[in-house]
Amino acid sequence: MAESAGYVAASAIRYNDDVVKKFVIATMFWGIVGMAVGVFIAAELAWPSLNFWPPYLNFGRIRPVHTSAVIFAFGGSALLGTSFHVVQRTCRARLFGGTALANFIFWGYQFFIVMAALSYVLGFSKSREYAEPEWHLDVWLVIVWVAYLIAFTGTVLRRTEPHIYVANWFYLSFIITIAMLVIVNNLAIPVSIYAAKSYSVFSGAQDALVQWWYGHNAVGFFLTVPFLGMMYYFIPKAANRPIYSYRLSIVHFWSLIFIYIWAGPHHLHWTALPDWTQTVGEAFSVMLWMPSWGGMINGLMTLSGAWDKLRTDPGLRFSVTSVGFYGMATFEGPVMSVRTVNALSHYTDWGIGHVHSGSLGWVAMISFGAIYYLVPNLWGRSGLYSHRLAAWHYWISTLGIVLYISAMWVAGIMEGLMWRAYDTQGFLQYSFIESINAVHPLFIIRWLGGVFFLAGILIMAYNLIMTVRSPRTAARATDISGLPLPAVGD
Amino acid sequence: MAFRHETLEKNVILLLVLSLLVVTIGGMVEIIPQFFVENTIEHVKGVRPYSPLELAGRNIYIREGCYLCHSQQIRALRDEIERYGHYSLAAESMYDHPFQWGSKRIGPDLARVGGKYSNDWHYAHLRNPQSMVPESLMPRYAFLDETPLSYDRIADDLRTNIAVGVPYTKDDIANAIADVESEANPDADHAALLKRYPKAVVVSKTGPYISEMDALVAYLQMLGTLVDFADTSEEKLDR
Amino acid sequence: MNDEEKFSALVIGALMAVFALIGLMLASHALDVEMSIFGWSLAAFALVFLFGLIRRHFDQEAAAKNEEVRRHG
Repeated sequence: MAESAGYVAASAIRYNDDVVKKFVIATMFWGIVGMAVGVFIAAELAWPSLNFWPPYLNFGRIRPVHTSAVIFAFGGSALLGTSFHVVQRTCRARLFGGTALANFIFWGYQFFIVMAALSYVLGFSKSREYAEPEWHLDVWLVIVWVAYLIAFTGTVLRRTEPHIYVANWFYLSFIITIAMLVIVNNLAIPVSIYAAKSYSVFSGAQDALVQWWYGHNAVGFFLTVPFLGMMYYFIPKAANRPIYSYRLSIVHFWSLIFIYIWAGPHHLHWTALPDWTQTVGEAFSVMLWMPSWGGMINGLMTLSGAWDKLRTDPGLRFSVTSVGFYGMATFEGPVMSVRTVNALSHYTDWGIGHVHSGSLGWVAMISFGAIYYLVPNLWGRSGLYSHRLAAWHYWISTLGIVLYISAMWVAGIMEGLMWRAYDTQGFLQYSFIESINAVHPLFIIRWLGGVFFLAGILIMAYNLIMTVRSPRTAARATDISGLPLPAVGD
Repeated sequence: MAFRHETLEKNVILLLVLSLLVVTIGGMVEIIPQFFVENTIEHVKGVRPYSPLELAGRNIYIREGCYLCHSQQIRALRDEIERYGHYSLAAESMYDHPFQWGSKRIGPDLARVGGKYSNDWHYAHLRNPQSMVPESLMPRYAFLDETPLSYDRIADDLRTNIAVGVPYTKDDIANAIADVESEANPDADHAALLKRYPKAVVVSKTGPYISEMDALVAYLQMLGTLVDFADTSEEKLDR
Repeated sequence: MNDEEKFSALVIGALMAVFALIGLMLASHALDVEMSIFGWSLAAFALVFLFGLIRRHFDQEAAAKNEEVRRHG
């Protein structure tokens, strides 16, 4: 077979693994920071006296630090890093643009994150959720993003493989769509080019729609599409199985990206946004269920015949669980987008729970799976330092997620029901503050869930550091990272 | 000529362009009509641009991330209307750059909080929320009281708002600083201010300077008070 | 160093010089604390990055020379 010849040729290519390593380290660092901030703000909601250093530690200023740190710093670093790894391996080409470009993308992106977090604490925010950085930071992000687009597309262009592998479609769609979303949503006029304050070019209902078109597709094209790309590389690789259905991957890719973009208005049900827009958003949100589950099925079924690996490969266990959570969250989402359900769930903690079942269960878990795979490979070690610690990480973080999301389900539904409860005389039964009192124990359970998840990533960090350092893992058995992906007929 | 997906799998530029086209459709269909369809924003009387002090207060509201716990959007649902007042109209946020509808209530909705409490209540509550509502989760904002409001460049903010479509007049800009000082001083003559910004609420400067809290209270006290619902029939609002 | 590496370092280096200037300009005219911090940080970021590029260039030149010496004695 030509396979062996291909492998020899591939090994002659010197991949840029340095930038991938940097992104892996950044992912772990920001994961710990972002989750620690999350635990802190969860504690502030359980014990408000923790807002002890106004204004810098007030909930309103550091909540965006948490969301940006976990989405853009942790998730973004995981995405940029794995995309560089995947695109070089599947195209059999060194990263385009040389070391300087790769380093600019890495450091430029980290600079954006640090500056953004600092600006929130100092009180500079556009107040657009998940797009808080002021205009000058947006300009910087766009510059870095264009560099990223050049490096990624350039690598695909000079590939030595005839086909563009499916994971790369997802990464490409992510890069180009995020560029579009970020540019349109952040259109604003600064008070002066020497001042950070700016005013959005859109207003009121139109602004709300643009923001949630962005906001929901930050979930769609930042937290879903490229992570599916990650799934399409790391699960087949770790399971040593071809993708279950190539045809399904084509169908669900195009339908997913087409339908996702319409779903934004479900964040604005029953508001002053025109009814027709709400209805369109609701309809497409329900339709979104199908392509989402197409991806889940393709991911899970790739394991058929290799399920036994779940017992031996801790990384794969994370990846597979994450696909399960993905399926759960993408079923819950369409349900919540139905107006009748949304009337109860919106503005409550149910939404927070939903986001975290997606972000902890899907985004973080699939990233953990990829990183457990990558670290021994990138640093040339024989394997993970400790499978036992990885198992501890797995169970403690799963328990954390379960505590978190069930507490938020109960809290959210309780809030929704209390806000609409009437007494026998036909008056509203509860004041607002009574609903806050009622959920207090659940806020504590949520905080505990967060502590568990944070403990998990700390265990992981220790395990990975020992993997790189410990003499136990020094011997390198085989370099599997350069091997081709398993294909049908292999 | 049959289309084969293989073509896309071998041409990255084509793949990139086509995937971009596919994602632009939904956004265009939903967003573009908002700017052209006549009934996106109702025609109601009373909605006006923010007074300079209110605008400064609004910027503090944004800076402190108040929108993360307080919505400003009363949904058209029975219990919300009974709890917070008439459901929010699109017209009421037509000068909001950006909008502050929010997405989560850890505190109550503020779309119609204006006039619900006295100025004194707001000052006391912002300084120490638990003194007014013992179980409140809200952080203390006493530091706003100790921070002088910076308003020497407030006219630039008004000008930028003109650039994004808010109909401030030359007169408004020329009087921006004077209007800030008038609205924060109960003893001043407010005729000119109220002519430019009807229903603006005068706040009581408590220290030797106009504080950030004065601005925030002026903003909170006008929220949701502008539309005259007596003058607006349900048919007019029916979209 | 191949041509791609050289070209990449040159373009990114030029870009960094521009960023450093923009940073200084923003910092010197800044109307608020955020713009001032951002300006100084941008200038510092660009300069440190430039130094990194220069160091890398000489490191690689030295490595190439060593390699030459090793091969031909």
